[in-house]
Amino acid sequence: MVIVKRKELTLAERLYLPEILRGLSITLRKMFVKRATRQYPEEPLVTTEVTRGQPRLAVNTDGTVRCVSCGMCEAACPAYAITIDGHETERPIEREPERFEIDMLRCILCGFCEEACPKEAIWMSDELELADYTRGALVYDLEKLKRPVSALQPRIDYIKKINDRWRTSSSTS
Amino acid sequence: MSLFLAQVLKVVVIFAGLVSAAGVSTLAERKVSAWIQLRLGPNRVGPFGVLQPLADGIKFFFKEEFIPQGATRWLFLLAPMLAAIPAMMTVAVIPFTGVIATVDGTPIYGSIADIDIGAIYVMAISGLGVYGIILGGWASNSKYSLLGGLRASAQMISYELSMILVILSIVAMSGTMNLREITDQQNANSLLGFLPAWNVFYQPLGFVLFVICTFAETNRHPFDFAECESELVGGFHTEYSSMKFALFFIGEYCAMIVMSCLTTTLFLGGAAVPFWAEAPWFVGLAAFVVKAAFFMFLFIWVRWSLPRFRYDQLMALGWKVFLPLALANVFVTGLVLSL
Repeated sequence: MVIVKRKELTLAERLYLPEILRGLSITLRKMFVKRATRQYPEEPLVTTEVTRGQPRLAVNTDGTVRCVSCGMCEAACPAYAITIDGHETERPIEREPERFEIDMLRCILCGFCEEACPKEAIWMSDELELADYTRGALVYDLEKLKRPVSALQPRIDYIKKINDRWRTSSSTS
Repeated sequence: MSLFLAQVLKVVVIFAGLVSAAGVSTLAERKVSAWIQLRLGPNRVGPFGVLQPLADGIKFFFKEEFIPQGATRWLFLLAPMLAAIPAMMTVAVIPFTGVIATVDGTPIYGSIADIDIGAIYVMAISGLGVYGIILGGWASNSKYSLLGGLRASAQMISYELSMILVILSIVAMSGTMNLREITDQQNANSLLGFLPAWNVFYQPLGFVLFVICTFAETNRHPFDFAECESELVGGFHTEYSSMKFALFFIGEYCAMIVMSCLTTTLFLGGAAVPFWAEAPWFVGLAAFVVKAAFFMFLFIWVRWSLPRFRYDQLMALGWKVFLPLALANVFVTGLVLSL
């Protein structure tokens, strides 16, 4: 059994007033500490190339989609958020998506589609805001997902850098 | 006629000032609490949230008036008025500044009523405020409200006693109960040549006791047993909603403002500006507002720094510490005065 002896209070502590003043001085000092609050809608969120936002489809400078509707991302998606229907095309890549839908309410922003894509067509953008009035409006179709490559370039460069580092280290060992 | 006009003008200006100051205090309460807790506080309504009290007021108007089943209807409606009106009435005798002007040889003072029993008037009327709380608590037909009301009454009685004794020693020193004359006396002399002759230097113990008693008197932290959110939900105003709740709220803040003004008047020389005895009345008014604002800030500052007392500690402190100290203070004051 442990017997905890109560500490004898000093006179200043028993008077209580000095301790109150000490407490007040602490709260007064806190009043002048710099706030960490970010006023969200006015001050937008800070995003970097590491930010893993919502997936978007890269569009080449000539306006064509990179996606060949191979279905790798569809298969990789753990949340079954992606639905793809493809068809053949005269373009050199031979196939392109006819229907490409991501249900943003199902998407968990894991980035597996980005990893799975063999054609560098789907990327995690820095877009984070997701709000609408109906569930249907949040099933994004091809038109809503298209983004020019330039908008996704920082992310593309970053992922390539990461992958290169991984390749060189494994090849040397 | 012009005297009458001046009187009406004073009533309107001081009353409007008091109520708007109460509004500003609610904003200050939220702002200061936010600053102490490293938050920003209300900043959506108007620049830096300055219009927040207005928005709150409008919101209160549109809230549902709810009277609980089994409540005593008349008393339930009467209680918020009884809580707010005494708090607003006490402001009548506070001398906000010196002589503003002289009309037909009659000086117009900075208080609504320049009466010779100012100190008694303040204690008598502010003591009535507790009726609103008790009746509100009892008429609500709720256990929390009733307990809050009971606690408020016991607390008021315990601390009003020490408060009156402190005022008594001030009155004994000044030889008058007229608050204006008490202020003038503090303004007239100087202490040891370099300090203003404010009562806070003559009565340091009385000052400390008085300030703490004002906290208990206005049911503020750390003595807010009438509300006591963690134990009694909301205390006496648990069942109140809409403007009835707002009246309790305004009453509480008005009481705080009046107590700040009273502390300023009794201990800090009221409208006196140090080393400038002939200051014009508006400078005096500004000095008064600054001093009173400090005590308002103290009310808020203490609220967000200290935890609530335990109820038995509160009563023990009131009866076993404050009352003997206040009595001793009166005794020593009397002894020194008679020597």
